[in-house]
Amino acid sequence: MHLLLIVAAFLCSGTVEARKVRGISSSYKRFYRERKSFLCIDGSKMIPFEQVNDDYCDCADGSDEPGTSACPRGRFYCTNLGFRPHYIPSSRVNDGVCDCCDASDEYNSHTRCQNTCWNLGQKERAYVEGQMRTLDEGLRLKQRLIEEGVLLWREKQAQLRELQQAAEDLQVKLEEHRRRKHEADQLKEQTIKSLEVGKDGFRPQNTSVTSLFQLLDNNKDGSISVDEVKAKVVLVHDEKRVLSEDEALVLLGGGREMDLTKFRHTLWDILTRGDNVKIKDGAPGGPANEDPHLKEADRAAEWEATSLRKVEEAYETVNMEISDLQKKLDIDYGTDWEFLFLSGQCYKLQVYEYNYTLCPFNQVTQKSTTGTEVSLGMWGMWAGPPKNHYSQMVYENGEPCWQGGSRTTTVTLTCGTETGLRSAKEPSKCQYIMDFQTPVACQPVLKQRGVHSEL
Amino acid sequence: MATFTERMAPVLVLWLAVCLSGTWAVDRGNFKTCDQSSFCKRQRALKPGESPYRALLETMELTNTRLTLQLINDNNKVRLLLELYRLQGNITRVKINELKPLKPRYEVPDVLVREPPTEPLSVLSQDENGVVLSLGAESQRVIVSARPFRLDIMEGHDVLMSLNSRGLLAFEHLRMRKDTQAEPEAENKEEADSANQAETAKEEEEKVEEGMWEETFKSHSDSKPNGPSAVSLDFSLPGVEHVYGIPEHADTLRLKTTDNGDPYRLYNLDVFQYELYNPMALYGAVPVMLAHNTKRTTGIFWLNAAETWVDISSNTAGKTVFGKMLDYVQGSSETPQTDVRWISESGIIDVFLMLGPTPKDVFSQYASLTGTQSFPPLSSLGYHQCRWNYNDQEDVRSVDAGFDEHDIPYDFIWLDIEHTDGKRYFTWDPHKFATPKEMLQGLLEKKRKMVAIVDPHIKVDSNYKIHNEIRSRGFYVKNKDGGDYEGWCWPGSAGYPDFTRADMRAWWASMFAYDQYEGTMENLYTWNDMNEPSVFNGPEVTMHKDAMHGSWEHREVHNLYGLYVHRATAEGLIQRSGGVERPFVLTRAFFAGSQRYGAVWTGDNAAEWDHLKISIPMCLSLGLVGISFCGADVGGFFKSPSSELLVRWYQTGAYQPFFRAHAHLDTPRREPWLFGPENTALIREAVRQRYTFLPYWYQLFYQAYRTGEPVMRPLWVEYPQDPATFAVDDEFLIGRDLLAHPVTEEGSRGVTAYLPGKDEFWFDIHTFQKHNGAQNLYIPVTMSSIPVFQRGGSIIPRKLRVRRSSTCMENDPYTLFVALNTRRSAEGELYIDDGHTFNYEKKEFIHRKLSFANNVLSSVNLAPDAQFTTKSWVERVVILGASKPGKITLKTADGEESQLDFEFDASMSVLTIRKPGMNAGEDWKITLK
Repeated sequence: MHLLLIVAAFLCSGTVEARKVRGISSSYKRFYRERKSFLCIDGSKMIPFEQVNDDYCDCADGSDEPGTSACPRGRFYCTNLGFRPHYIPSSRVNDGVCDCCDASDEYNSHTRCQNTCWNLGQKERAYVEGQMRTLDEGLRLKQRLIEEGVLLWREKQAQLRELQQAAEDLQVKLEEHRRRKHEADQLKEQTIKSLEVGKDGFRPQNTSVTSLFQLLDNNKDGSISVDEVKAKVVLVHDEKRVLSEDEALVLLGGGREMDLTKFRHTLWDILTRGDNVKIKDGAPGGPANEDPHLKEADRAAEWEATSLRKVEEAYETVNMEISDLQKKLDIDYGTDWEFLFLSGQCYKLQVYEYNYTLCPFNQVTQKSTTGTEVSLGMWGMWAGPPKNHYSQMVYENGEPCWQGGSRTTTVTLTCGTETGLRSAKEPSKCQYIMDFQTPVACQPVLKQRGVHSEL
Repeated sequence: MATFTERMAPVLVLWLAVCLSGTWAVDRGNFKTCDQSSFCKRQRALKPGESPYRALLETMELTNTRLTLQLINDNNKVRLLLELYRLQGNITRVKINELKPLKPRYEVPDVLVREPPTEPLSVLSQDENGVVLSLGAESQRVIVSARPFRLDIMEGHDVLMSLNSRGLLAFEHLRMRKDTQAEPEAENKEEADSANQAETAKEEEEKVEEGMWEETFKSHSDSKPNGPSAVSLDFSLPGVEHVYGIPEHADTLRLKTTDNGDPYRLYNLDVFQYELYNPMALYGAVPVMLAHNTKRTTGIFWLNAAETWVDISSNTAGKTVFGKMLDYVQGSSETPQTDVRWISESGIIDVFLMLGPTPKDVFSQYASLTGTQSFPPLSSLGYHQCRWNYNDQEDVRSVDAGFDEHDIPYDFIWLDIEHTDGKRYFTWDPHKFATPKEMLQGLLEKKRKMVAIVDPHIKVDSNYKIHNEIRSRGFYVKNKDGGDYEGWCWPGSAGYPDFTRADMRAWWASMFAYDQYEGTMENLYTWNDMNEPSVFNGPEVTMHKDAMHGSWEHREVHNLYGLYVHRATAEGLIQRSGGVERPFVLTRAFFAGSQRYGAVWTGDNAAEWDHLKISIPMCLSLGLVGISFCGADVGGFFKSPSSELLVRWYQTGAYQPFFRAHAHLDTPRREPWLFGPENTALIREAVRQRYTFLPYWYQLFYQAYRTGEPVMRPLWVEYPQDPATFAVDDEFLIGRDLLAHPVTEEGSRGVTAYLPGKDEFWFDIHTFQKHNGAQNLYIPVTMSSIPVFQRGGSIIPRKLRVRRSSTCMENDPYTLFVALNTRRSAEGELYIDDGHTFNYEKKEFIHRKLSFANNVLSSVNLAPDAQFTTKSWVERVVILGASKPGKITLKTADGEESQLDFEFDASMSVLTIRKPGMNAGEDWKITLK
């Protein structure tokens, strides 16, 4: 209100010059002081002052006709009191279309223009206030998101470090397990070898002789009987036939019983040589399999192998996670990592028959109601202008287009209090543009804009 | 907009992708050669000099209006009836039909504006060899020779034109099919006439050639229940080496001889990615040819709407300039002569010989037969912004705002097929164009307009009102078995309304009423595409020839279909306003007479330099045959133009009658501001130049409407005696007074323009530099150059206050550009009316003659009985080639005299008179002393 009064007062005091010269701003008034002649502002020509705004273009720069449409490159100043003043091309003066909200451009036309400046001003002020609130809120949220971003960044870094630590630990473990597996394998091999040596005449270890003795000694009375031999020992060449009494007796060295000591020196040799007789199949363990040492070594080797595999898998997983995380951390999330929180999120929007999904730093897709999903591009890069690099994202190499090339999406980021997709369009075939609103796109510089009124 | 396949189902897309991966051009195999069209092959096989036709002079009857005479084919004894009329305005009409056809043969209706008024004929002499008739007042005669039959039209000792001079008249009479032998009486009757000869004649007749009774092309079969019915006639044009016309072909202005290839074909077809410089048929057909030499211009109008082929041969065609010179020096040569032969599949021979003698006489002769260019609304001469497609209302709004932001004027924004609800014409997509009236109101407030497409294929869908109505009224074209004909087009399965029916057209027109076509307002206009008609799955991408329009086969009416669609639509737009407002309808298919209904464009061209070049001869050819409102898609429809090509195309299009940018769905956006500020400025400047000349364009269209003279003209039309102009088609005249030689070469540093006229001056419209006529002028060019010249001796009114649309400029003042000739005089006209109603028919207009002579520039009324008031005044007079006066005075109608200020630029001899200020509709006089 104060402003209006001041303006009114100013206008009153300046009536003499101001009434005559239509279409100029106050800062240009000095060029249009009522004199005998008028010098074109570019200095190119001097004309009588009556020829200013006389609806004929005399000056090449159009400066003699600020209030008419006479000059091709002229401009007309809309004062727009109560709203924002601005210039319009002079071709819009008296063209039957209301351009200035104060109706000053249609002073000689059929069109009745309303002065809408006050309404527009109010709307604009409300809008700007809204924008300011949005901006304030946005900037506040942005600050939080930046802080969160920093935390998230640190968290991710920590996560990375943890993972890297885990990888290192796993590496150590891996070495250890490899060593142990190696040892176990060696032991197993040795055992097998020693068993093989035993076959060739070496005395097998006590335990082995004993275990075979125990196997034959069914009733565990400390000696092997004829029946016990008949039950477990068969001819190599005729496994089906049960040994006769005599044959068993021969194996027992003529006696009906044989103790461990005698077994060790007689039957053990025969059985391990395996030329004529052997332990019946199905009876647990031949002399070799039977060997508890070997069994143990085998089990150990297997155990170590499994452990190693597990560690290896874990190592691979961790490494994969590291490289994933590193790839993600390599992306430019803004100077303050403020865009980091978008990573891993997806935002949807339905436009006509299509559902659009934007997963920032990942991909854009379009799904039609008929159900087919089409890629509109994979994360490419930031593509804003140099002074506002983070205002635009490009997603490229989407589904190919049949006329050549592939689908690409350009996402413009605008300031808002909430994060979400606001619009999705396809202005040209396979070229998509999206409007994505988020607090982190809010820029403090916006705050300087507002309603100015001409004084 | 769109041709066949590219908008098709995925299967076809795939098929196409395969095709496109090879060469980028038309698939010629989809379209017939003469050899593949059985009647063309049959007719072309005939040898000259063996005409079986004889005139039966004893049957001659002469009434006040016509002469009739029977012709007999001595081979088969079939008789023909020749009718000869002398029409007012130096036109001779020759009609040949069967004397007693088995059933009536098709005669093209609705093309002639009226039954042409006749003049009396009289017999000068007669003997057993022939008759000599007098053709009215001029010393013209027709000599009818009896054996063989031949017509020669003479003026004095000169033969202007001869018919059947090569004996290629052929008339396949209707006959019963031999294998059915249902009623052999018809043939018996003929045989009864003569005895022995008939036997051999019958032998010959019975030779049934392949393709006479059935014909297949690719997978399509044509049942041909009426058998062979072709007609053909040859014309000799002695002394003629240059023939023009018979559009539409993507070829040079001067027609080529066809001896070594196919004849020029006239058969309206939707040709996908058409090739340049060949005689293949395209979207439209106007069977009119002009012949020209330094002494005379004549025309042949072959009124037949069936598939037609035109052969051209010349006895000088192969000769080099040196060879011709040698002939001349040796005096041995025969006179140059062009022979033309027309072959049509069906119908009758009905030919109008327009005998000139000047080009303008031929234009008015043709106009007297088929009418003139409809007088378009002024706004339609502005710039049109089109694209397949502007996606939704928001898109339209933002493109509209873009023009304001970049200060580029435009009048019309266009919506292609995607704006509809599932390609159901007369509807809007309920989501993308939910509130069309709101959108139109927004445009209206800026004094701008919109065009929405309405194609003639109607989706077969029982929930679609238009389809249900047409079906229930029985308005669809029928297939040969009597059911509704169905073909495949944008909506999928579609029916084709029978536009040849007057009741169907009346119903169609009524559908444009504001209460029928919902969401429309007075600033919505219409675009008819695909009206060849295009049938994706039909033979040659069009309708089966044995489809039925009432009792006539599609074969008979094919080339007329598009004209009828255009007509019914234009009538709809007139009717919706109660007959007050002028319509604007763009069509792709056309025929003789289509000029009466609106504008045409050259169809689906491509973003290539050669396509830019060909736009000139293609529109020139159309202008010669009455269709002045012609343009090519600026930028090229298919493919994407470089920014240089786009700028050059805007510069060319700004000086062609219909100025519309258009682009294919698959191309990137190309609104004028998308190519950087420099190119935006270049395009803005080209469009602005167009708008400054709108008063001149409008006046030329008024002239075209009144006289039939083309708006865009070949040079030879104005310089008929200068052979150097006869084949020029890289430059053109706009009216008489502007000559444009747009830059159409990539990377051009200069162009050589031929400036015609020994006594002419030509003033560069940009620099005002004066050049002499009759010279080849080399003009260095930059990207901003559009070489255009104003003829000395002319006065061109312009409006230099370019605003956002032509309607915004309605009341603006004029600047008169007076270019002086060698006699220091000049003449021009100024036409003003309300720009959009039919009130000009009620004499509500201003038409003034502006003249400069003896240092006096004056305006006098050319139409004293007309009344109109304008707010426009004269703000400036620019006299080119002037000398410096002492003082200048103005005398207005009320007798008041005042002195005027002026400036004189001695370096260019340009005198600028400051603000004379008189009303443009009044009498006034400016005197230089």
